[in-house]
Amino acid sequence: TGGHTTEILRLLSCLSESYSPRHYVLADSDKMSEAKIRSFEQKRAETFSESQFSLDRIPRSREVRQSWISSVVTTLYSILYSLPLTYKRKPDLILCNGPGTCVPVCLSAFLLGLLRIKRTIIVYVESICRVETLSMSGKILYYFSDYFIVQWPDLKKKYPKSVYLGRIV
Amino acid sequence: FRFKDSLAEELRSADLVISHAGAGSCLETLEKGKPLIVVINDKLMDNHQLELAKQLHRDGYVLYCNCSTLVETLQSMDLSALKPFPPGQPEKFASFLDKVFGLQ
Repeated sequence: TGGHTTEILRLLSCLSESYSPRHYVLADSDKMSEAKIRSFEQKRAETFSESQFSLDRIPRSREVRQSWISSVVTTLYSILYSLPLTYKRKPDLILCNGPGTCVPVCLSAFLLGLLRIKRTIIVYVESICRVETLSMSGKILYYFSDYFIVQWPDLKKKYPKSVYLGRIV
Repeated sequence: FRFKDSLAEELRSADLVISHAGAGSCLETLEKGKPLIVVINDKLMDNHQLELAKQLHRDGYVLYCNCSTLVETLQSMDLSALKPFPPGQPEKFASFLDKVFGLQ
């Protein structure tokens, strides 16, 4: 959604073409991100002609401020829904920055890793908005990601296993 | 107007921006190099939104007030005391990922 998409596209802006093809996963309710992504990829195709990407949609796993219990149910449903997608794409890398959508995708990849089907590196970048506390997605994925990146020093202190590179968006 | 896809035009011609504490608004304004006063809505205490506004204020990039102190802030503000906002560095992220994948 909105801010998350803008941030993640900035993160992608300096990546080389080794990070290709790019598979974007969006919530089915997200209306605005697709246009931003297409615009970004179009610009990218001007420099890197072999550039490839795809877009997939999954049901939104959690509404903002949705209750804890119903979140568990909807997230489980989203994980099951994401499994075939993650299995099909078998990504080498999953990059995410916090929208609810990313949790089931990452957890499904984590599961495929446990089952020795595909080992995906999960890189989570917490949003620049998070200065002192982690988002819900961050709190969960702190334990499931290979690299957990924070953008403010307070968070690095609170979450010592995280990586601090300063502001990267 | 109530809603527009992009405020880039308005931002470009503004001399001062007064905004709520939304991250997108704050960062977009700072990146365009415009002085910014962030107004906190005391009644809509979304704490997570405040984190960024408070930090930006602590670092000297924005002025900070609530609805009732806005007029006083406007009267006594010293915009030259605001520090220029350095851009984020996605190249550091790219470099980090390249190391992870042995692509250096």
